[in-house]
Amino acid sequence: MAYSDKVVDHFNNPRNMGSFKKDEDGVGTGMVGAPECGDVMKLQIKVQNDTIVDAKFKTFGCGSAIASSSLATEWLKGKTIEEAQKIKNTDIVQELNLPPVKIHCSVLAEDAIKAALADYQKKADVK
Amino acid sequence: MDHHHTHSTNPRELQMARSMCWHCQSEVSGEYFCDRCVKVQPVSKETDYFTCFGLPRRLTIDPNKLESKFYELSRAFHPDFYQNKSEMEQTISLGNAATLNSAYRTLRDPIQRAEYLLDLEAGSVKDIRTTPPADLFEEIIELQETLDAYRETDRPSEAGQTLRAQLQTKRTALEQRQQDMDTQLQLLFSGWDALQDRGAATDHTRSERERILKRMRDILSNRTYVKNIVNDLVATIG
Repeated sequence: MAYSDKVVDHFNNPRNMGSFKKDEDGVGTGMVGAPECGDVMKLQIKVQNDTIVDAKFKTFGCGSAIASSSLATEWLKGKTIEEAQKIKNTDIVQELNLPPVKIHCSVLAEDAIKAALADYQKKADVK
Repeated sequence: MDHHHTHSTNPRELQMARSMCWHCQSEVSGEYFCDRCVKVQPVSKETDYFTCFGLPRRLTIDPNKLESKFYELSRAFHPDFYQNKSEMEQTISLGNAATLNSAYRTLRDPIQRAEYLLDLEAGSVKDIRTTPPADLFEEIIELQETLDAYRETDRPSEAGQTLRAQLQTKRTALEQRQQDMDTQLQLLFSGWDALQDRGAATDHTRSERERILKRMRDILSNRTYVKNIVNDLVATIG
């Protein structure tokens, strides 16, 4: 099975790889894993005035998982919290042309977005 | 016997769906060959791998017995014996042989066997997908970052040596954890088998079954994460 060109591109030139300090103001962190393959994904958002101004990820796993999270961070930037909630794994599958056996990678990315948003909300609520 | 309860709590009640012989229309119930006309019967899609080998849903399986049963059935469906048979019989025996191959590969490995059982039982357990172990992820990501740092340092340098020693310590600890997880799994396997052997479905056994399955699910998924990171460690520091 060959990876699609878009997956290869994200894999070779990952966008927004890295991390923010977890306790930094406005940062939400999502950490998720896929028990099927053992891939681990960390996705972070930085929020100002309800808008995601920056996003970073670190993924240890297969090419599709890296591409899915790389794409997710690109999409997140500039979106409001509400808009970000609407990103679906199927959007990622379509954009990256993922084969059925790699759909769980896109699910992982969606889970990571949800987890990062939830973490941000939780931190914001405490204040 | 009630065939609507495929998720029955007693696995011994689980049988292949009763159906008709495709050739002589007499009743067959899970046998590989029709009692009356002796034609080969297809393994039904609902038949699980344990049933394929006539085994109860237990997690301890004697590998020798499994192997000899596999060979016995492989012979029974071997293409050589079907060369002069009808096209239908050739197709059925080939399909059965393929199913048995998958069944054997899955059941002979204790971990794959347990994962397969979890899939089978998932319908009867609520919330089998457990909350991900966030602290484990954190630990793994931190370790992966240290690995990245080590890969980028000049290995014989002092900094490189320090990182290497750190990683070595982590590796020993993780390998110990792998062993502990395997020991725990063994205990859960025996616990599950004891419940299966007892048979009777009381409220207590039902909740005990759920507890064991969930715990198994947890350990099996953690095990995958730990295995991956240990593999990365071994590949990098040797």
